[in-house]
This record gives sequence, C-alpha cells and structure tokens, in this order.
Amino acid sequence: MRGGWVAVGLMVGSSLVSQQGNLSAPTAKPKQYVSYAAEEQVVKAGKKSVVELRFRVTEGFHVNSHTPKSELLIPTNLTLQPAGGVKADAVQYPAGTEYSFSFEPGEKLDVYTGAFTVKVPVVVDAGSHTVDGVLRYQACDNAACYPPKSLPVQVVLTAK
Amino acid sequence: MRRVVVLGVMVAGIALLLWAGWHNLRERKLAMQRARESQVVLIPEKQGQAAERGAQSGGEDGGLAPVMRGKQAPAFALTSLDGKKVSLADYKGRPVLVNFWATWCGPCKIEMPWFEEFRKQYAAQGFEVLGLTDDADAGKDAIAKVAQKAGVTYPILLTDGKVQDSYGGLDVLPMSFYVDRNGVIVEQTAGLGSKDQIEANIKKIVASGAVAQTGGQ
Repeated sequence: MRGGWVAVGLMVGSSLVSQQGNLSAPTAKPKQYVSYAAEEQVVKAGKKSVVELRFRVTEGFHVNSHTPKSELLIPTNLTLQPAGGVKADAVQYPAGTEYSFSFEPGEKLDVYTGAFTVKVPVVVDAGSHTVDGVLRYQACDNAACYPPKSLPVQVVLTAK
Repeated sequence: MRRVVVLGVMVAGIALLLWAGWHNLRERKLAMQRARESQVVLIPEKQGQAAERGAQSGGEDGGLAPVMRGKQAPAFALTSLDGKKVSLADYKGRPVLVNFWATWCGPCKIEMPWFEEFRKQYAAQGFEVLGLTDDADAGKDAIAKVAQKAGVTYPILLTDGKVQDSYGGLDVLPMSFYVDRNGVIVEQTAGLGSKDQIEANIKKIVASGAVAQTGGQ
C-alpha cells in the first residue's frame, strides 16, 4: 500500500517535470543570428552613466566586429534614435577576436562570437525613458555568409 | 495510529508535490508569456519580407532547401560590369552555372577561381558561368576589384533586386544554380562546397541534352 502511494506521487511529480521541459523547448529556427537581452537599466538622474546593451551571437556563427580588417566587410553598428531626456554619447564597441575560415587560414578577420556588450555613455533626466535603436550586422558560419540584418533594440532607462 | 500518521504524511507530501508542480508550471508559463512579449519588441525590421522569402525558399530551413531543383531557370536580363545587357536567354542550349555572390562573402571568393578554372576546362562543351552580385551597396569599382583579384573573366552581372526573389530568395551566400542545356535547374547548392562536388555538378549539366555551341558571348 505504502509503495503504491509513493509510486503515484513519483508519477505525478515526473509528469509535471516533463511538462516544464516541453515548455522551454525551442519552437522555431531563428532568422536572426544575433539576439538582444532586453533589460531595464537604472541610472542616477543627471549624472554620467554607462548603459550596457548585451547581445549574443548564435552558436556556430560569427559577425564582423565594429572594426573589421577589410573595407569590404560590413561592420557591426548600433544606431540609437534621439529620445527626450536622454543625452547619449558615442557608442563604445568591444574589441573583436581574430578569426580565419578553415579554407582561408591566411586571411584574418576581426569578429564577435558568443556574448558581446556594447556600451553607451548617457546622461538621463529623472523618470522613465525608452530609447529605440537598431543593431546592423552581417553574419557568417564556417562555410556560408548571410545578408546583412537589422536587429531592433529597445532600451528602457529609469533615472532616479 | 502509526499507520494514520504515515498516511497523513504521505498525503501531505503528495499535496505539496502537486502544489509545487502547479506553481512551477504557472511561473514557467508566465516567463514564456513575458519572453513572447519581448519578442514582439525584437522582431526583425523586415519581417514581412523575410517571411515572404522563407515561404518561397522552404520556410524553416532559412533558404537552404534546394527548392528550385527541377524547375525551369527563371529568365533575367541584367547589366554586366562593363555596361552590357546580358540575359540568360543569350545562353540558350548551353550549360550555365548561375552563381550568386557578394563582396563581403568570404566563402564566395574561394570558389570563384574554381569556377574560372572549370569554365576554361569545359569551354569546348559550351559551359558558361554567370556571376550575379547580390551586393547593391558595394559599387561597381569594389565589385570589379574583387572579381579581378579572384582571377574571374566570366561575366559579372549586377542584380536588380528582383532576380534574387525569382530564384527563391537568397538567405545565404554563395548560392549556385546549375542550369542544363534545356534551361532546367539540375542542382542548387548553398554555401561553399568542395571543388570536386562543384565539378560533379558541372559534369551533370555539360552531359545534358544535345551539344549546342551557339549563342552567348
């Protein structure tokens, strides 16, 4: 009898766990090769602050850094639209890492892979503000390249 | 008495397990809902266009499915780097490799010298290569410079924004279409293939139909 109850409990528990697993399963292949982790940024009102925008390049892909080594390559570039109460300074990009295609080891590229963070120095008036922008990038994997993409970003700033 | 206590503990345990599971499930659903809401903010700028291309090129695979294989090669008339009007119809009866590339595409530049080599090798069979530049922003000079560096002498044509769509939408480069003498796309490849595979595909279109040596440049 005791064993039966324990078995029922375990079955109920395991079915719930499996339901949770299904919920988090990916549903579709992304068309974008970079994702943006939107997070609310809290800064001090009227003071110089640095807002950090976190991006992630899909595994298996790379994008050119902001300063690729050839003028033919399309750099990663963030443009932000002007927003009332927010003074934004020049965008600061991280340094890229060196990368070569296996079929062309002599040509060194400067790329972002995995996570990268773009910083924007700002001075924000008190209150809540939304800044819209676009990250333009061009991705490749180890055997193909993909046309340039534009990833819309939205930064929610709260200055206290 | 002891049995009652044990039974009570078991019932309480199961109830706790059920509540924890339900609570967790609810939290996950809310998290998913929040994630979906943020996805609305992060949709691609030209989502409509991308979706349209996805439908044409096979949807979920990102344009990698050879959806044009077995179909008649769509006609086009484009301007070459030296200002001439070149159409696919000019090469009627000949095996043609239609290759889409761009100046910013590293893998594209690897296979271009191979195409040039095979063009010479199979010239007697009427084989021709047409390089279509999917690169409107680069400018003629940059395109010519890259083609010259790759040793390319086959026609380089400037795309018009329509030819890409007629070939199923191009979500990946390089993209090549092997057109036989009857104007049918025998093979479609995406990404850099091996030199041997490229030659095997060329052999397929060279071997097709009756040899016709007229037309073209």
